[in-house]
Amino acid sequence: MSYVSVQHLQKNYSGTTVFSDINCEIQKGEFVTLLGPSGCGKSTLLRCIAGLTSVDGGRILLEGQDLVPLSPQKRGIGMVFQSYALFPNMTVEQNIAFGLRMQKVNADDSQRRVAEVLNLVELNDFAVRFPHQLSGGQCQRVALARSLVTRPRLLLLDEPLSALDARIRKHLREQIRQIQRELGLTTIFVTHDQEEALTMSDRIFLMNQGKIVQSGDAETLYTAPVDVFAAGFIGNYNLLDAESASKLLQRPIDHRIAIRPEAIELSLNGQLDAQVRSHSLLGNVIRYRVEARGVELVVDVLNRSAADLHPDGQRLALSIDPTALCKVA
Amino acid sequence: MSRAELGPVGVYHRVVVYLLFAILLLPLFGTLIYSISSSWSATILPSGFTFKWYLQLWSDPRFLGAFGQSLLVCVGSLILSVVLILPLLFVVHYHFPKLDALMNILILLPFAVPPVVSTVGLLQLYGSGPFAMVGTPWILIGCYFTIALPFMYRAITNNLQAINLRDLMDAAQLLGAGTWQAAFLVVLPNLRKGLMVALLLSFSFLFGEFVFANILVGTRYETLQVYLNNMRNSSGHFTSALVISYFFFVLVMTWAANILNKDKSE
Repeated sequence: MSYVSVQHLQKNYSGTTVFSDINCEIQKGEFVTLLGPSGCGKSTLLRCIAGLTSVDGGRILLEGQDLVPLSPQKRGIGMVFQSYALFPNMTVEQNIAFGLRMQKVNADDSQRRVAEVLNLVELNDFAVRFPHQLSGGQCQRVALARSLVTRPRLLLLDEPLSALDARIRKHLREQIRQIQRELGLTTIFVTHDQEEALTMSDRIFLMNQGKIVQSGDAETLYTAPVDVFAAGFIGNYNLLDAESASKLLQRPIDHRIAIRPEAIELSLNGQLDAQVRSHSLLGNVIRYRVEARGVELVVDVLNRSAADLHPDGQRLALSIDPTALCKVA
Repeated sequence: MSRAELGPVGVYHRVVVYLLFAILLLPLFGTLIYSISSSWSATILPSGFTFKWYLQLWSDPRFLGAFGQSLLVCVGSLILSVVLILPLLFVVHYHFPKLDALMNILILLPFAVPPVVSTVGLLQLYGSGPFAMVGTPWILIGCYFTIALPFMYRAITNNLQAINLRDLMDAAQLLGAGTWQAAFLVVLPNLRKGLMVALLLSFSFLFGEFVFANILVGTRYETLQVYLNNMRNSSGHFTSALVISYFFFVLVMTWAANILNKDKSE
């Protein structure tokens, strides 16, 4: 029996269906990510689990208990919002203690537990500040501490890093993951950022138009996309229809294929039937647009030495690792 | 050094500001001088200064009565509007955000209908029948509620939009707070600024209101402005003292509210 089990979940908004049959299982201590473009229903699913949005059918089991009839207060779920949602009228300390105050935890215990989580998020020196005196990253750490202090059974993170700048986002990403591992906390993370999903998650549920399109670990999702959407959303796949694929591979192919740009090799030896159209330097990687046998491809080459830099117009030989060809629906 | 202190542009800005202050304060200053002069008619400067007008005013039981009654009507209608409008705003913004558009039209009505027109309507409606209230303070409280409505609604709406009501409510509820607890502990304290602005605006407006008070109630429940109107034939020094007292009271109120409203976190 899994720790969290979503069964046949259904949600409509004034006549339109957000999702009609969502099923997923999450194990205890797992960090799973709901990944998908905006409007795919991932945030709504999260809000349904939290109890902030009603559901129109199906069940959400947490440790075998159906959450659907319970109010959000009684679910034992912690949540962190993109907007931080810190209470502006309270200090950091009071914000964090709010949940304990609602549970009528006595003052000594409350003080000790607040200090504990402040320590965990490394904000001990900020206890008496108000939210408007903190930076975005600090606010989000306070929000995290506030949701951890009540020792929730399940932690929900709704795009918590989207409002932060890149450097802080990276740091906080690692910090969240480390705290989650330390506490063994089952966590559902919502994001539209594939890099965030790939680096943080034990498992990813890729969503599109109210459906879970594919689920699996980062490796599986990245190397074996099941359909055009998955291939298009994750990585920078070259998507070829049957006709182009046949032309490129010079054998009859009757389905669409996806090729990762880094699975294609360029060299100056062999049959020079490809030509560089343009290139851009991304730093450690050079991204080429190459035309080969009438098909345009994106090729990523590791920037190891000057020999990897080919000028536009250069004729090259192209080889594709056959195991990297994915058949997609 | 602030930007305004630099160069001729700064000087120009200062002149504009001081000129504006002068235009606004000059009549008030004149009234003040007149109210403390023993007589000031055929001379450039008053012939002498005295506080007797103020003494006379503040020992007149009719003035004190009108003052108290004005205060009562204003405070009554403000309490009524807080009690009704706060929950209304909360419900509109939390549960039915689409109603906000309708409310924005509704709150314009008290301004769209000229006071003289609406008094005629009110007189007809409440002059007789089961709701005969004309001549009692109750009709003024009800009527002033409608005048306070736009001030209250706008100011608090702006405040609500600035605090991300939905996320705050959601966060509080997930932390175990009931709807009422969340509203009182989390939302209300953050509306304090908007609420104070709304109350001060409405209070200063209502305290000086004359048309409704005079037509709907008149001398049967004399308010400050009606009293001032009835005293128009007495000494100008006396009515000047009244006006200055009135301004001074509103000033002290505003100042006190500002002090109380200082955010301890700033």
